Amino acid sequence: MDAIVKIDNLRVEYRGRELGSGTKVALNGLNLEVYPGEVFGFLGPNGAGKTTTMNVLLGFVHPAAGAAYLFGVNVREPIARQRIGYLPELTYYYKFLSAEELLRFYARIFALPRVEADRRIDQVLRLVELEPARRRPIKTYSKGMQQRVGLAQALINNPDLLILDEPTSGLDPLGRTKVREIIQRLKQEGKTVFFSSHELGEVETVCDRVAILCQGRLLAQGAVDDLTRQYQGNLEQAFLRIIGHPPRP
Amino acid sequence: MPSPPWLLSLLLVICFTLALRLQSWYAAWPGNTAASADLLTVALGDSRQLFANYFFAEADAYFHSGYYPSIFDQPQSPGRPHVAETTDGESTADEEREADFLGKPRDWIERFGRNFFPTAHTHLKPADTGEILPWLELSADLDPHRVETYTVAAYWLRTRLGRVNEAEQFLRQGLRANPDSCEILFELGRVYAENRHDPDHARNLWELALRRWDAQSAEGRKPDRIVFGAIVSHLADLEAHTGRYAQAIQCLERLKTVSPAPAAIQKQIDDLKQRLAAGVH
Amino acid sequence: MNSLWAIASLVIKELYRRKDFYVLFILTVLITGLFGSISIFNDERIVRYLKAICLLLIWMAALVIAIVTTARQIPAEREQRTIFPLLAKPVTRAHVVGGKFLGCWLAAGIALVVFYVFFALLSGTREHTWPIANYAQALWLHWLMLAMVIALTLAGSVLFTAPSSNATICFIVTVGILLVGRHLNTVTLQLREPASSLVSVVYYLIPHLEFFDVRDLVIHDWPPIPWSACALATLYALAYTACFLLAAWWRFRRQPLN
Repeated sequence: MDAIVKIDNLRVEYRGRELGSGTKVALNGLNLEVYPGEVFGFLGPNGAGKTTTMNVLLGFVHPAAGAAYLFGVNVREPIARQRIGYLPELTYYYKFLSAEELLRFYARIFALPRVEADRRIDQVLRLVELEPARRRPIKTYSKGMQQRVGLAQALINNPDLLILDEPTSGLDPLGRTKVREIIQRLKQEGKTVFFSSHELGEVETVCDRVAILCQGRLLAQGAVDDLTRQYQGNLEQAFLRIIGHPPRP
Repeated sequence: MPSPPWLLSLLLVICFTLALRLQSWYAAWPGNTAASADLLTVALGDSRQLFANYFFAEADAYFHSGYYPSIFDQPQSPGRPHVAETTDGESTADEEREADFLGKPRDWIERFGRNFFPTAHTHLKPADTGEILPWLELSADLDPHRVETYTVAAYWLRTRLGRVNEAEQFLRQGLRANPDSCEILFELGRVYAENRHDPDHARNLWELALRRWDAQSAEGRKPDRIVFGAIVSHLADLEAHTGRYAQAIQCLERLKTVSPAPAAIQKQIDDLKQRLAAGVH
Repeated sequence: MNSLWAIASLVIKELYRRKDFYVLFILTVLITGLFGSISIFNDERIVRYLKAICLLLIWMAALVIAIVTTARQIPAEREQRTIFPLLAKPVTRAHVVGGKFLGCWLAAGIALVVFYVFFALLSGTREHTWPIANYAQALWLHWLMLAMVIALTLAGSVLFTAPSSNATICFIVTVGILLVGRHLNTVTLQLREPASSLVSVVYYLIPHLEFFDVRDLVIHDWPPIPWSACALATLYALAYTACFLLAAWWRFRRQPLN
């Protein structure tokens, strides 16, 4: 089976903005593959390179070496992003628009015909439970509602791959549950989800496979069951052992 | 606690009472002169003279339908605005030469750019001359002591637009701001002589203008000799036409002192002396 | 192309949801009305000063709308992080630059049409003449000038971090070119080397925005400009616009987004 996401020996460097501050390696020799229909968890402590990896996949950051592919197309090509949906960690949308207008804007970018766009807008707003607030300006939404608008815009093109950067960050327990339910529904629909999270319990519940990253290097990857069995504990304990901070007895 | 409508009504009554009290106090306040109350004066300060000059030049630009030199073209431009000249609005050959301030284009940018602004020397048609007046009025508002503004506006108002009353009114406004101005008195005299056909009134005004000129000269203020020439020459004509040859000769004698052609003036004097001797009226 | 139009329509929507345009239009109408109500020596036929004031206000308002709207486009996208979900779609940075330009230019064009309709009505009711060709040329050339200004501001917005400093610089540059651009070759004659050569280079390098200012021709009822000159001016404006847009894209394409 061909990988939907393929990262090949990726290296990303950042040059410091201050004079003479040198170059910092954000990712080094990263190799990763994500297959259709799986929910893939991307884990690591803060500054491990998770968001950088996603930024490379989305074309925001250009690698110093190596390459990344979506559906077999190099991410440098805009067409590679035709079949993906992306939810950034912090969601900010055009505040002068309503949810419906925002979704119509993104639908136009994907060149969805008017009827198809209307159908998709109704569908995703129902999915994220924002139907009653669809004509209200986004600036009046709560944080949870804004996160759900973010999810709706990520789904407007009915993507085959969803890239979610910490989708439950900053949400209350109810919001987290809703987002988790949505991810599970998407999984049932056969979508591929690639998401980063600090919530290891949540990852353990919804993910098929995970990759653990630390200081720009891939330390481990595999099925959740395999990792927990190999490291004799739950995912959190396995994670801590892998990154070199074994849990206290 | 009174209800909001009552409170609002009470506040409104207080406001009106205060306004009425303050209005009567302000009317009696010595600082409330026209000058201090003028918003433009307060807002612009001394820079208003600069703006007044600009608007006067704008009137000249309008007289030429926008064909006007900028500060960068000044070395080639005429020193005195055409609008200030009491001509009939037709260009002379000299004016045409002076007005060719653009010269030949020096590069393609300049040549191409000339498609987009007026590049021909024209004067406003008589019916359109009024278009210069707003800028002159604005110039006078900003600098009431700029005498030329009143005389130029009055000239165009009475000669081209037939608005004699407005011309006189504007000149009197100028006279209030510049009571010593012999130029305004002279122009006012022309209104009476040429438009109202009232030689007595015109004579009074020109004689007054002449006295003002003499007084300024005596004070060593060096008033404009051209204006002096114009006053005595017009006064001489008026006196001659009304048969007061002796007064006309006096005026021409004075004109001779400033005229570039004294021989011609002397000829006129001799002619009048003959008439006086023959008792012709 | 879809992305371009989608981004452009978003900019237009933003313009008419903000109050800038309405405030400037109402101010223009009020100030022109105020000047129009003044009686100049009881002569109702005097109209050119009113046309001049109205056109001056239109030029100022259009510049403010164009520069302020454009200057905040890309910095706001980056600051509010809306650029991330946008670029995660099949949208390139060239699309963003192009779409923003198109949106700002169309928005400025819509505003200009409203302003010029008001101007035509004002002068038509006073003069009882309708020189449509002159007005159409003035509007078209004005819009072309705004294309260059918008492209320049867009290039500035990827160069300078703060929209306010970019807007100020662009405003000064634009007004400076409009006032002295035409005369720089005269200035060179009065300068010594190397200043003379330097000013010459500037003269040949800058976009001559003053070509597009035909207010004097409209105010004083001169005949329309030759259409060939209009066509050449169009090409001139498009060339400079393309240069500025290219520069903006060149700078923006590899720029870190945060």
